[in-house]
Amino acid sequence: MLGRHGNNLFWMARYLERSENTARLIQAVLHHALSREDGGIAEWGQVVSNSGNREVFYSKFDVISTIHAINFLLRDKDNVNSVLSLMSKARQNGRSVRTSLTQEVWLSLNESWIACESSLKRPVNIHDVPVVLEGIIKGSSLFRGALYGTMLQNDIFNFLRLGTFIERADNTLRIIDAKYHRLLPTAKVIGGSEDQSQWEVMLRSLAAWRSFNWLKKGRLDPTGVADFLIFDARMPRSVNFCYKQVHSNLMDLSILYEKEYDSGRMAQAFCECLSRDHVRNSHKFDLKSFVTDHIAKNNELSLTIAHDFHLNNL
Amino acid sequence: MFDEMFGDTEGYGRQPYDKLCAWLEEQDLKKLSKKSGAAEELFRRLGITFNVYGEKEAEERLIPFDLIPRILSAKEWQMLERGIIQRVAAINAFLSDIYNGQQIIKAGIIPSEMIYNNKAYLPHMCGFTPPGGVYTHVVGVDIVRTGQDDFFVLEDNARVPSGVSYMLENRSTMQHMFPELFTTHQVKPVSDYPKNLYNCLCSSAANKSDNPNVVVLTPGIFNSAYYEHSFLADEMGVELVEGADLEICDGQVMIRTTAGTETVDVIYRRIDDEFLDPLSFDPKSLLGTPGLFDAYRNGSVTLANAPGAGIADDKAIYSYIPDIIKFYTGQEPLLKNIPTWRCAEANNLQYVLDHLHELVVKEVHGSGGYGMLVGPAASKRELAAFAKKLRANPEKYVAQPTLALSTVPILAKTGLTPRHVDLRPFVLVAPQKISVTPGGLTRVALKKGSLVVNSSQGGGTKDTWVLGA
Repeated sequence: MLGRHGNNLFWMARYLERSENTARLIQAVLHHALSREDGGIAEWGQVVSNSGNREVFYSKFDVISTIHAINFLLRDKDNVNSVLSLMSKARQNGRSVRTSLTQEVWLSLNESWIACESSLKRPVNIHDVPVVLEGIIKGSSLFRGALYGTMLQNDIFNFLRLGTFIERADNTLRIIDAKYHRLLPTAKVIGGSEDQSQWEVMLRSLAAWRSFNWLKKGRLDPTGVADFLIFDARMPRSVNFCYKQVHSNLMDLSILYEKEYDSGRMAQAFCECLSRDHVRNSHKFDLKSFVTDHIAKNNELSLTIAHDFHLNNL
Repeated sequence: MFDEMFGDTEGYGRQPYDKLCAWLEEQDLKKLSKKSGAAEELFRRLGITFNVYGEKEAEERLIPFDLIPRILSAKEWQMLERGIIQRVAAINAFLSDIYNGQQIIKAGIIPSEMIYNNKAYLPHMCGFTPPGGVYTHVVGVDIVRTGQDDFFVLEDNARVPSGVSYMLENRSTMQHMFPELFTTHQVKPVSDYPKNLYNCLCSSAANKSDNPNVVVLTPGIFNSAYYEHSFLADEMGVELVEGADLEICDGQVMIRTTAGTETVDVIYRRIDDEFLDPLSFDPKSLLGTPGLFDAYRNGSVTLANAPGAGIADDKAIYSYIPDIIKFYTGQEPLLKNIPTWRCAEANNLQYVLDHLHELVVKEVHGSGGYGMLVGPAASKRELAAFAKKLRANPEKYVAQPTLALSTVPILAKTGLTPRHVDLRPFVLVAPQKISVTPGGLTRVALKKGSLVVNSSQGGGTKDTWVLGA
């Protein structure tokens, strides 16, 4: 496979994952905002800031409002991480690697793009937001289904999966990072419904609200949430789950290309760290530094993958 | 005006169309024209689009598709096929001669300045024979019709002819939408084209290995024919590369892959000569690969089509093609040329200026229907402006009579209505064999009375059927 195509596949998957995550985050925050008297303005402010495009937003709007925040996150062309910008880049990458995708995978991507482009052509009315978000998430699910149902599980598949799980791990880590102080054991002291609703936003934005409740029978406690989102290998958006996937895809590539890679060794070290009980149970476990540390390491791993497989050798 | 469905008189279907006419009688044309929208929706979903230069980056357009097929009888096709093969064989012999020996110039058939002053002539190719002796692996011969037995070659496309993906997609769309028509008609298949193209490219590989590495070279996703490039690479099961994916290592062309580098044997290039290699040609080009041309001349890789092949499809050389055919094959041309006045010659220029209102004048190096004057459709002011351009640079133009191109009905909202068409059959040239896919791409001018069929200027396409004997 061409190095450039590997790069396109990797980033196509990252952009798609990021757009799905953005849609889920908007869903979760909207749910939170609509259940509060203050309209969840603080929460929208935090989301906009975390999108990495705070300045762009405030260059357009003096104050934050639900509908401006949503439109900024969904369709603002100056926001490189808006769903519309991401989908456009994903499709452009997809077109470049059209020959590596099955017809069904390409169709699901192209149709999602067409649907996205038409539903986000004009500013979205608050009334339509839930339907638009559902459409975006459904498109992502269709793509995933076509991917698993029709693609050969070869290196093309591996690069797509690597992109997905590197992005997903990053997303989960960043969501924890933004609210880590709510997840410290001492947070219990503050307690109250405020913290509950914060955990709910976190879990909902990672599609984990129901599964968490099912496992914990509704007992919300900060260490439980942190443990679940980082270590639980059953949860498809936990950091541990993502790294198991990253590692396994890198091992596939090692076997296929008959070579050992630095990225493979790095992923293995991550997996070992995440599965060691003493790490998670240690009373010295420092959530804040764990998360910051892993965001940096995740980025480093992404760069190492690009280097190992000649993804950027132009 | 000759209509291919109805002949010269309205009301009676010509024989190749009789079953189709019977079928159309039973259809509700309003419902049918709605189906036509469904076909275009399908194209949009599949991403079968083309980019229009000069429009904003994201602009991807659909080529309108008309549901009414264009039908040729077995006999008509046989005649065309023989003529095309003869013509393409002569074109290859001509290219080989022009770059090695120039017998045709020495024999006084073509004046030497026609060659040496021509932009498409590539001195870099002199004294070099491409692998297998093939210059034009893929050719598109544009043919127009004016009557029952009157076919003319409008132009030859010997550089990087495009449109074959539409030929294939049109057929699969028709089979998907109207399977019943294919049970009543014996339509010759076109679906072998990608396989034949692959075999054709392999047979001209520079290295005679059993399994040559073939790639398609594209300028990238913003090129107007990008869809076709990816379609062909996909159908052949080969890599679709850009210039930057290639590197030259010890005189060998390599592609950069995720597992290191790999040797390339055949490059089906869909970029123009001048962009191939910034070292040998346009130094400003970012599309090409430095050193590619040297690797080619060393014989380590095949380029299809060969650089410099454009000298054969130039509009000024076109007028010599009948002589070229006679010179190399010793036979009379089977397919007619359109009479062409080369404006570079003084008495021709005078004639053209005197008859401007009835002629079609084309730029020698133009394509896509741009820079062209259709005399009968032009206003007095346009004619005067064009005459001025002609006098200033007569060598840049050739003129031809305005032909009454045949029509085939299209399905409009008001029902069937005739529109002018042309035909581009696709020819594959292997070292020992020239073959033509039955049919080709029919382009149709969707505007009433228009003779310009180019997709960039409001043309559409039709599926083209060649019936079995």
